[in-house]
Amino acid sequence: MSARLFPVARALAYVAIALVACAIVFQLAGYPSAGMFAAIVEGAFLAPHAIVHTIRWAMPLFVTALGVLVAFRCGYFNIGAQGQFYLGAIAAGLTADALHAGPPVLVIPLVLAAGIAGGALWALWPGLLRVLSGTDEVITTLMGNFIAILALAYVTSGPLKDGSGSGEVAAARPVADGLRLSTSSGVSLSILAIVIVVGGLMWLLVDRTAFGVLGSLAGRNPVMVVWQGARSGRIAIGAFLFSGALAGLAGALELLGPSGRLLSGFAPTLGFGAVLVALVSGLSVSAATVASVFFGGLAAASLYLPVIAGFPAAAIDIINAAITLVITARAWPSALRRRASASS
Amino acid sequence: MIAAIAAILQSATPLIYVALGGMIAARAGIWNLGLEGLMIAGACAAVVGTKQSGSAGVGVMCAIVVCVLGSALLWFAIEKLRAHPVIAGLGISGLGLGGTDLAIQAMYGNEGSVHAPRSLPQLGAAAGDFAGCSVLVVAMPFVVAALWVLLRRTRFGLQLSACGEHPFAARSVGIDPVRMRLVALAIGGVLCAFGGTELALGRLQIFSTGMTAGRGYMAFAAVVFGAMDPIGTAGAAAFFSLVEYLGIKGQLVFGNAAPPELVLSLPYIATVLGVWISSRLRGGAAALSELRDY
Repeated sequence: MSARLFPVARALAYVAIALVACAIVFQLAGYPSAGMFAAIVEGAFLAPHAIVHTIRWAMPLFVTALGVLVAFRCGYFNIGAQGQFYLGAIAAGLTADALHAGPPVLVIPLVLAAGIAGGALWALWPGLLRVLSGTDEVITTLMGNFIAILALAYVTSGPLKDGSGSGEVAAARPVADGLRLSTSSGVSLSILAIVIVVGGLMWLLVDRTAFGVLGSLAGRNPVMVVWQGARSGRIAIGAFLFSGALAGLAGALELLGPSGRLLSGFAPTLGFGAVLVALVSGLSVSAATVASVFFGGLAAASLYLPVIAGFPAAAIDIINAAITLVITARAWPSALRRRASASS
Repeated sequence: MIAAIAAILQSATPLIYVALGGMIAARAGIWNLGLEGLMIAGACAAVVGTKQSGSAGVGVMCAIVVCVLGSALLWFAIEKLRAHPVIAGLGISGLGLGGTDLAIQAMYGNEGSVHAPRSLPQLGAAAGDFAGCSVLVVAMPFVVAALWVLLRRTRFGLQLSACGEHPFAARSVGIDPVRMRLVALAIGGVLCAFGGTELALGRLQIFSTGMTAGRGYMAFAAVVFGAMDPIGTAGAAAFFSLVEYLGIKGQLVFGNAAPPELVLSLPYIATVLGVWISSRLRGGAAALSELRDY
């Protein structure tokens, strides 16, 4: 097997192992696992409008995962995509609310820029702490997630509170109709175009610029890159900023697209999902497209399962977690390895 | 004042047990981000075990079994499959959160919470302000002291620390770091089970999905803040609880002038500050990525 394909095959094999383990667990918990997986495939791809839901979730996952991927490539474990996504959405929401009367042609780019800035700022402080003090970014970005969740709860129940509604979830005033990029389906030409352009730009950044190449080297061997004279601090800050900016952009798109307003705790598993997409794709931009459709499908199915098929949505959480547990594995279990060498 | 200390002690105890569990694993060289999942799995197993058997003791045993099995799974992923410890830990946390959700729904339907018929044994009214503290709260200081002795004054504890600080040196004197990490994670699992049990059966007698609300991650931060020392870790965890307590008190004093979300975020902000200070004091916690021997 070629050196390039081996990691892909290994990742797919581990995803398969995780799925089989989940099937066994579901069966033990008293759910027919064949029916469960059939319902998941149906909810992701086969049911009416399922494809639209899948793409609707795949797009924010893809954009956020691109950011996670850049940070991971540079060797920084930014697991705060969820918080950066929320802060981007909050910044976009405040901008959209302040400029709701303006001409959409001007306001929409401003709102997107605000989202990018909000997400980037929320990634900047863990980046600065990491570079200046060596503070571990795993904890700071993780805590940033919890703070961002509360910040969103504050904004939706305070400054931007929608007085008209009486729902259980705190909701902000809806974005003006003229600013919306899609209906609540979340799929429209404009969003697709933005996602594709961002994907292309990030591929260029990662594969064709000094930052991308040096960053990837720094992630594998930070000492060597420093000795060669690259400014590792600058690469680090860049990695955090790109990472947060993309998550923030996803937040702004979520606001102007499917959501249409800020909701407390919306898209709660997106950041975690984006980390998964980045890891399953082996930190490659092109593979992330496929991985985000896979996890987008799971996200679509998690809304489909409890409503239509009568299975708990937690099943999807378990599948995601099982894949997380093994996806970074670099070895085969010794039993498997023995069998492989016996057969060869 | 005494009443406040008792209240803080009670709310800090689950966090302290879980942080101690993470501390033991960290000493052996595994940064355990699965604490969140182990804690909620322990809480769930304790309540389910108590409900099914009618005895809190059986509940604690169930929690210990579940948490040790979860820790063993994490060990297998990290040491045998060579998965990245941080990501695998997040996977264990996800499995705990999702698995307890699924288990509760499979057993009791779409309630989202389960009541236990009885709580842990508690101090009686004779204890004054400390009345209502469960047996695990009373035991906590002794556990901290026992762990300090174990890690600092016994051959086993020093070997364990050697596996984390310099696995190569440990191997050269005949200690197997891989096996020591399994032992450390198993002890950590027992401590997480205590933490989860205290959270669910200490005062509330209820399990609800997602009830740990990030406490496992705060416990992990306490390990870093507390410099992997039993007393330091317990102190850091107690400090986070103190901040939470003061925030709630401040809310009562200042009313809505302080938004509740700000108050709720205080422990997380304190955690960030704590980790930042400890990294400044110790010249960078580059440990997380560079500690391991691969």
